[in-house]
Amino acid sequence: MSGTTKSKDNKTEPIAYSEAALRNNAIVVEYCRTSMAALSGSTAGVLGLTGLNGFAFYVLSVITLWVMFMIKAGPNWHKYYVSRQSLLTNGFFGALFTYVLFWTFIYGMVHVY
Amino acid sequence: MSSFHKIIVFVGYISLFHSAFSAAQHRSYLRITSQEFTTLPLDIVVQAVASLFAVMWGVLNIAGNLREIPAAAELNTLTWETQYNMPSFAIFNHRGKAVNQSKYVPSSGKAELENTEL
Repeated sequence: MSGTTKSKDNKTEPIAYSEAALRNNAIVVEYCRTSMAALSGSTAGVLGLTGLNGFAFYVLSVITLWVMFMIKAGPNWHKYYVSRQSLLTNGFFGALFTYVLFWTFIYGMVHVY
Repeated sequence: MSSFHKIIVFVGYISLFHSAFSAAQHRSYLRITSQEFTTLPLDIVVQAVASLFAVMWGVLNIAGNLREIPAAAELNTLTWETQYNMPSFAIFNHRGKAVNQSKYVPSSGKAELENTEL
């Protein structure tokens, strides 16, 4: 069991985290995030969103996924995530490219052809 | 519990596909009647968004269990039997046998050691 020590800020006591558990949780979050980007991109394409509406829909689905993570973790989310803010913002632009790919593809399939 | 979420994901995918098909049909209907496209009907929008949320929730539960990140969380669940299992320190032969000669049965060497059930 390897442990890394990270401190929230320089003043407080450093907290020891299990690296294997951190990596496992990061994999789960990344899987959900990629799936969310693909699915919400498909939905945006089905709905025929164009321009800024589509990006607003992406932000909405990112926030929805974050709320779902919070619901799943429950009140003691400190046991599973280091920080809530980084859970919301990590990989935002990486997933955005996946989103745009599926958005344009499904939009073309449904509305153009 | 996991199969329940798999069913949610499956039904959600089918529902999303159905709404995509409905949208395509609505679009072709507008094209035939030469109307201008403004927005989709409300039921298709509701179905698409609801199935998106259903699939997201199902995928979130399928993806795997979250583990507790504090380093001591999993060490706390180990029992003494797990910790005490040290094969390097197992005792097979004791010098006390030499002191208590009357009860000592001389072994026939390695052959007996291999037949012994431990």
